[in-house]
Amino acid sequence: MKIYTQTGDQGKTSLFSGERVVKSDARIHAYGDIDELNSVVGALIAALLPDSEAAEGQLKEIQSDLFQVGAWLAATSGSEAQARLNSITIGYSQRIESWIDGMDAQLPELKSFILPGGHPTAAWAHIARTVCRRAERAVILLAEQEAAAGRSFEGFAPIVAFINRLSDYFFVLARWLNQHAGMGDVQWQG
Amino acid sequence: MMPRPTPANDIRPRFVVAVTAVRWLSEGTFEIRLERPVGFKFLPGQKISFVDGALRRDYTLLGPVDAPELALCVRHVPDGLFSPRLSRARIGDRFQITAPFGYFTLKTSGRPAVFVATGTGIAPFVAFANAGARGFDLLHGVRTPAELYYRDLLFTAARRYIPCVSAAAGDGEIGPEGFAGRVDRFLSTQYPDGAYDFFLCGRIQMIRDVTRLIDARFSGSRVFIEAYD
Ligand SMILES: Cc1cc2nc3c(=O)[nH]c(=O)nc-3n(C[C@H](O)[C@H](O)[C@H](O)COP(=O)(O)OP(=O)(O)OC[C@H]3O[C@@H](n4cnc5c(N)ncnc54)[C@H](O)[C@@H]3O)c2cc1C
Repeated sequence: MKIYTQTGDQGKTSLFSGERVVKSDARIHAYGDIDELNSVVGALIAALLPDSEAAEGQLKEIQSDLFQVGAWLAATSGSEAQARLNSITIGYSQRIESWIDGMDAQLPELKSFILPGGHPTAAWAHIARTVCRRAERAVILLAEQEAAAGRSFEGFAPIVAFINRLSDYFFVLARWLNQHAGMGDVQWQG
Repeated sequence: MMPRPTPANDIRPRFVVAVTAVRWLSEGTFEIRLERPVGFKFLPGQKISFVDGALRRDYTLLGPVDAPELALCVRHVPDGLFSPRLSRARIGDRFQITAPFGYFTLKTSGRPAVFVATGTGIAPFVAFANAGARGFDLLHGVRTPAELYYRDLLFTAARRYIPCVSAAAGDGEIGPEGFAGRVDRFLSTQYPDGAYDFFLCGRIQMIRDVTRLIDARFSGSRVFIEAYD
């Protein structure tokens, strides 16, 4: 199968639900940001130090979930194409919460602001966190547009919760990775 | 690129199945039937992969979905790595296949459905028709009239069945509904303006040409594609 179809060379692309839309469409921004986040998670996995199996396993599951979210966002709300996909449930964010709690229990209490950086793996986790925040803004913008057009917001709620929780996860993971690398938090000296 | 809802790490179940029949439909194309594994369920328009080590080739299931055997329609690509092996298969030969997958299934809306195929790209539309789809327009692009396989089924099921034959052919051969030329030329010169649900399957060049045409002439349409190469 060819990677390039050349059906997008005039600035349009097909949604999973069949509509041809301009690539500046809010929906394309939303799943494009999710795709970018997934790539950052891939870079983070590639950079992990030895003895990070638990984090690696979680990140791979997150990649698979993000793929699912991207596909869901690539179909218009309520379309038959979307109905064929596994729906994203509140279980997605609940699982992230349990991972956050698991890491948090191993970390010293947070007493000051921290700066995004430290070990390269933690720096990647902070990039993931900020790209995740951007994805969240894009998804919410899309959800608002859908609601304004009278389409259902329902399916978005568990996705927004998942992405919101995910950025918290990357924050805690960055701290965990710095600790794992023997560096500790980079504290803000303000 | 649009995310594709198929994970890259293929964890689909696999089955080893025996060939039960091979029937030539035209000089270069044959229908092959395989045993149907127990519990094997698929939707019209889905495909399977044949797997042999690192080699993988996809083929669309023709249906009917409740038939006792699996049927595929395959073009023999003369210098191809895999299709010649399938074309030489004898009854009882075994192949490893995956569970069915894919999202090129029929999605309905208020808009008229237009199916556009080249060659064996007709396979998912045969599956749709086998599952009871009716009232669609179907364009089948082929080189010669001999390649208009499944014509009777499709002619009956379609509102309009339009063979588009690119190699010169006498009018009698392509029938009154037939068009001497490629599918994209038929669409651009003969097809009424409007918004449709287009389903395109077959060679990527056709998909490219027709998608451009849709953007230019049939805006507001939905487009679903399945590229064979
Ligand atoms: C989703 C999907 C569904 C498919 N369904 C079918 C199907 O139902 N029937 C079918 O015959 N093929 C189908 N194909 C194509 C099939 O998977 C193989 O690519 C094809 O049989 C060639 O494989 P090969 O190993 O013989 O040739 P290769 O050694 O891979 O050589 C490939 C060459 O064959 C050309 N080619 C690929 N497909 C065709 C074709 N159908 N007709 C003419 N030339 C072709 C390619 O452009 C390329 O030049 C499908 C492909 C995809 C991706």
